[in-house]
Amino acid sequence: MMEAPLLAIENLRTYFYSRAKRAFIRSVDGVSLHVGPGETLGIVGESGSGKSVTALSAAGLVSAAPGVIGGRIELHSHRARRNLLDGLERYVRVKEEDGRVMAVEKDNRGWRRRAEALMEGVRGKEIAMIFQNPRSALNPYSTIGTQLVEAIRLHTSLKGESEAKERAIHWLERVRIDSPRLRFDNFPFGMSGGMCQRAMIAMALSAEPSLLIADEPTTGLDATIQSRIVELLAELKAETGTATLLISHDIGVIRRLSDRVAVMYGGTVVETGRATQALAPQAQVRHPYTAALLASIPSTETIRRKSYLQAIEGEALDTIDVPRGCRFYGRCNRVTEAIRDRCAGVEPPLAEVAPGHKVRCWLYSSTPSSLNPAREPRQ
Amino acid sequence: MSSSILEVTDLRKHYSQRRGLVSVLTGQGRVIPAVDGVSFYLRENETVGLVGESGCGKTTIGRTVLRLTDPSSGRIVFDGRDITNLSRAELRPLRREMQMIFQDLDAGLNPKMRVHAILHEALTVYERPSDAAIASRIRELLEQVNLKDSKLANFPAELSGGEKRRVGIARVLAVRPRLIVADEPTSALDVSIQAQVVNLLRDLQKHLGLTYLFISHDLPVVELVSQKVAVMYLGRIVEMGLAESIAHQPRHPYTRILWSSLADKQNTEASLSGRGGATVERAARAWGVFDFEQPVNGCRFAPRCPLYQDKGRPAVCTDPASEPPLRDLGKGHAVACHFA
Repeated sequence: MMEAPLLAIENLRTYFYSRAKRAFIRSVDGVSLHVGPGETLGIVGESGSGKSVTALSAAGLVSAAPGVIGGRIELHSHRARRNLLDGLERYVRVKEEDGRVMAVEKDNRGWRRRAEALMEGVRGKEIAMIFQNPRSALNPYSTIGTQLVEAIRLHTSLKGESEAKERAIHWLERVRIDSPRLRFDNFPFGMSGGMCQRAMIAMALSAEPSLLIADEPTTGLDATIQSRIVELLAELKAETGTATLLISHDIGVIRRLSDRVAVMYGGTVVETGRATQALAPQAQVRHPYTAALLASIPSTETIRRKSYLQAIEGEALDTIDVPRGCRFYGRCNRVTEAIRDRCAGVEPPLAEVAPGHKVRCWLYSSTPSSLNPAREPRQ
Repeated sequence: MSSSILEVTDLRKHYSQRRGLVSVLTGQGRVIPAVDGVSFYLRENETVGLVGESGCGKTTIGRTVLRLTDPSSGRIVFDGRDITNLSRAELRPLRREMQMIFQDLDAGLNPKMRVHAILHEALTVYERPSDAAIASRIRELLEQVNLKDSKLANFPAELSGGEKRRVGIARVLAVRPRLIVADEPTSALDVSIQAQVVNLLRDLQKHLGLTYLFISHDLPVVELVSQKVAVMYLGRIVEMGLAESIAHQPRHPYTRILWSSLADKQNTEASLSGRGGATVERAARAWGVFDFEQPVNGCRFAPRCPLYQDKGRPAVCTDPASEPPLRDLGKGHAVACHFA
C-alpha cells in the first residue's frame, strides 16, 4: 500500500477567456497528479502546456476569469485532509458543445470568498512558492531581512522580533548566502539574480511548509548560476525533505531534481512515471511527445556528428480548439495505420505501461494486457 | 586569411555612466568596459560562436561590428574594407551585406504591418524591383524559411513565437546579406521550436553561403552550429578555438566551469545519475558578482578562479601589469591564462 499522498490533484480544470479570440482557453484540462511526502514531482512541458497554471491553481493564485472551474485539490498534512476546492462546484456551470466550451457561468465573488476561506492558513504556510524572476517577486522597497522576518512571524510560532531575526539569518545561511548578517539589510536591487533567488527560497522554506511549489526557479538566470541554484535545491531537499512540485521547461533541471515526472502537453498530462523511467535516454516505452522533446535537445551524439536536430514539426496546440482525438495527433510521427482512426477520433486514456509509469497514447493501450506497441512503428 | 569576411582587431567599447550632479558637471563618471580589447576574424561561410554569461559583452560585440554602435577604439574590417570610421552614408550600401537577427522576437516586426508589408518593405529598401519580382521574391523567402502563404495576411501579434522568428529571418534574408550576426536567435523559443530554428539557420547557411556570428549562452547549440567558438568573460575573449576542442578539451578554467555547469543539461546517462556538478561546486566558493567599480588587477577572472586558488594564489595572476594575453596553443586554439 502506497503512502497517502501529500497533495492529490484530481481532474483539475482551469480555463481562461481570450477576448481577442472570443473563445475559452483550456489551459488545464483534466489534470490529475499526486505528490507524496518528501517527494519531488517535476512537471515538464513547453509554454502553453498548462504546467504553470496547474501550479498556480494548486496555490489558489489564479485570479483571471473564469479560472479554476472544477476538480479536487486535496492537501493531506498534519493529519488533516482538506479539499481546497471543496464545495466550489456549485458556483460554476459549464456549457460544452461538441468538445468546445461555449459558456462558463461562474459566480466569481462567491467562489473567491469560499476559496479564500479554504486557503486560510494554507497559502504561504502549508504551501509555499518560489517563482521565476525572483527580483519581481520580492518587495523592492523593503530589505531582504524585513521580508524574511515578516514571513517567519506570520507563519511560524516565532513571534518576537529578535528571535525571528535570528531565524531569518539562520535561513540566509542555509541557502548559502555569504555574510548573512550584512545581506540581511540589503535591498533586492543590491543583489544579483541568483542571490535574490536564494533569498526567495529562504523565505519560502522559513515557513516550514508541507509543500514547496517551485515554478521555473532557474529560468532567466545565467548558466553557471542556474546550476548552482539547482545544486542548492538538491541539497535543501536532502536536508529538509520538503515535498516539492517543480515546474520547468528545462529537462536538465527536472531530471536532476525530480523523483517522479509528469510531462504535460496541451493542458493534459501525457506521461507520468519515475524520472529514471520516463526520462531515461534509451527508454523503450514512452509518449511520442516526450521522445520528441528529448530528441530536440542537442545530445553529445548529435553534436559530434553535426547532424540535424529532430525538431517537432508544427506548433504547440492552442487549447481553444481541442481536437476530438489525441492532442498530439497533428504533430505525432508515430501514428501507424493500425491506430490512426483511434488517434484522430478518441482521446487516449492515461494507461499504465509499467508499475507507476503511465502513458497517454494509443500505441500502448490497444489491449489492456499488452505493454508493448500494437505494431512496431517505423519512423 | 584572404578569405576572411570580417576581421576585428583590438576592439573596445566603453560606456560611461554618469550618476549625480557632480559627475555630470565634472565630466567624470565611471567607465564600463563592455568590450575591452577583442580580436577575432570570420571566414566566409563559417560560423563563429560567441558564448559567455550575460553582461560579458557578447551583444555589444555583435552590435559594434555591424556599426550599430560606434566602437571606442579598435579596427573593424569587413570584406577587406575598414569600416571603423565610415559615416552613416558610407555605411548604408554595406548595411545590406551585414544584418542582425535580434534576440527579441518582435524586433523589426512593426506591429501595425502585416507580414506581407513587412517583407515588401524589406525588399524595397535598397532597390525598386518590379511588382512581379517582389511577388516572386516573397514567395521564395517564405519557402526558404518554411512559412505558409496564409501567414502573409497576419499581423505579428497573430503569429506564434516560431513564426515570428521565421518572419524575422525572412526579413533579414530579403536584402541578401552575406554576414549575419545572430544574437540569441533561439533563446526566446520553446525547445521543440528551437530545434526547428537551429535546423533552419544551418540549412540557410548551406544554401546561401551565409557567414554567422552566433551569439548565445546555450552551449550545446553553439557547439552544434559553430566551427569555432570564442568564450568571453567580462569584455575579453578568454579562450578561442575549434568548437570541439573548446567543448571537450577546454583549457581556461572559466571555459571548464561553463561547460561542466551544462553537463546535466545534455541528454546523457551521466546527467541522469547527477554527476558533473563537482567542478562547479568547487568553483562556487568565490563565485560572486563582478563589480566593474573594482579596478582590474591582472587577470579579471582571478577572483572567481579555482585554478588561482589551487595554485596558491600566485602573484602573477593579480599583477596589475600583466593581464594574461591570448596565448596561441596551435591549431587555432588560444587561451588567456598564465597556467592553463
